[in-house]
Amino acid sequence: MDNFELICPAGTPAALRAAVDAGADAVYLGFRDETNARNFPGLNFTRQDVADAVDYAHARKVEVYVAINTYPQAGNLGPWQKAVDDAARLKVDAVILADPGLLAYAAKRHPDLRLHLSVQASAANVEAIRLYRDAFGVRRVVLPRVLTVPEIAKLNAEVDVETEVFVFGGLCPMAEGRCSLSSYATGLSPNKQGVCSPATHVRYEQRGGALASTLGGFTINVFGEGEQAGYPTLCKGRFVAGGAPAYLFEEPTSLNAMDLLPELKAAGVHALKIEGRQRGKAYIGAVVRAYREALDSFAAGRPVPHIDLQAMVEGGTQTTGAYTRAWR
Amino acid sequence: MREPMREPAVAPTAIDDDRARRFEASLSRAGLGLVPRLGERVSDALLARLLRVLAERHPRAFEALREMQDACVLIEPVDAPVALMMRVGPELSLHARPRGAVGTGAAAADAVIRGPYARLLDLLEGRIDGDALFFRRELTISGDTALILALRNTLDGEDEMDLMADAASIAGPLARALPVLRRNAGPVLDRVEAARRLLPPPLRRGIERIGARIEARLTGTVPGTNPGAGA
Ligand code: SF4
Repeated sequence: MDNFELICPAGTPAALRAAVDAGADAVYLGFRDETNARNFPGLNFTRQDVADAVDYAHARKVEVYVAINTYPQAGNLGPWQKAVDDAARLKVDAVILADPGLLAYAAKRHPDLRLHLSVQASAANVEAIRLYRDAFGVRRVVLPRVLTVPEIAKLNAEVDVETEVFVFGGLCPMAEGRCSLSSYATGLSPNKQGVCSPATHVRYEQRGGALASTLGGFTINVFGEGEQAGYPTLCKGRFVAGGAPAYLFEEPTSLNAMDLLPELKAAGVHALKIEGRQRGKAYIGAVVRAYREALDSFAAGRPVPHIDLQAMVEGGTQTTGAYTRAWR
Repeated sequence: MREPMREPAVAPTAIDDDRARRFEASLSRAGLGLVPRLGERVSDALLARLLRVLAERHPRAFEALREMQDACVLIEPVDAPVALMMRVGPELSLHARPRGAVGTGAAAADAVIRGPYARLLDLLEGRIDGDALFFRRELTISGDTALILALRNTLDGEDEMDLMADAASIAGPLARALPVLRRNAGPVLDRVEAARRLLPPPLRRGIERIGARIEARLTGTVPGTNPGAGA
């Protein structure tokens, strides 16, 4: 049986080396600017870093993908087009794009450059995926985290484009690329500036034994003494409604679909993606190693080992997300 | 790939023994406790030298720290008597001061990171994921979140740092002693532990009290209290 491809995040050169050494098949990363959806302070790669990363990874038969997956600003296409040109020049194995204009530019300028459709494009149906394939030659689609396994199976049966799905990490529960919560609170969004709930607008304060997180002046959550904390992401905020605090949209829970490998294989999924370019190299090493072990056991027909990744995750709880969402 | 990093003056002998790591952490915490007792001038000079050594070994990170906007981050181990104030930006510097000393407290900093000393050391050396520590509430941060994130990401972008080895390399005799210490830490700790277990309980408790007192003398803390609690 063909093994899944394991696609791993890297926010820094050291994290890239950790991912490669831990058994990634491909590592995805972004340039140090607003052209990618993890535009965080101190994170990401200079052009020289990418050149070095490609050398390191290719020497070990690992691929490098560059995410250029924010939407260009009207009248300022330059940085996005330059990012595509530089990625091609640096001989990366694929670029991960979301904007149709940028896809058209890349397809025309760099016909040999492999194009993957970012989760930010939110292509969740057969017609949309066919359009991206026919118009731009997209070879792989990263599916949004809103589909169930049967929906993914149906989709794969109807299109001949590779699919990649998230299996581990933080969840962005809305249709990706279309969420405006962060824009509302801070004026900055993952879709344009590459940051959801940006750190520049986040403050933490101790309130007695409790920890309060605020974003743009709004209180997002108050974690009681000893309670696991989470990111100050708006969709995972705990707000008072009807007099009682509650997670109105989504709880701070992490995705872990390790138990679903047989179902995902049967559904025709080609590649599995780990989220977390913003995480440290210790996280990346540990999660990639765990998934490598699980995938190798699965491919060899051995039972998938239970590997405890609980300590790594936001909120300290894990979910299989929409894949097995009973209410759907 | 970029130039391979220059070999540290002290070879970072792998420490697979958890206890050896804990021992090392308490040793360095005790060492840090001594720094302000040397007086501000000497301690500042020592830390400036440590920064130069680190900058030589981790040029990418230190260039990035110098390119940051001028700002101060207070790194406060809650179980040590000393806090570190790091100034990032063109005037990169590091100062150790007794915790709570005037002008070096949280009010003088743009951001503060607090946590147990051993955790902070793991974090600075990139052995542990900062977000996971934060989720588990072992680490608290306040002030400018973006500044803390930039600092964390910059340091984490380096292959594992070995601060013990780097710190030891600026103190001549320690530089030679550290590899030996590390090689032998496991077996020595085993023997100490075995001997301790053989002692009758009253004697064992006596030895533990002496140990606590020695550490207190070294770090300047009162045995059995946690100076960080509630601070
Ligand atoms: S607020 Fe939540 S759903 Fe919206 S972009 Fe951010 S992570 Fe995604």
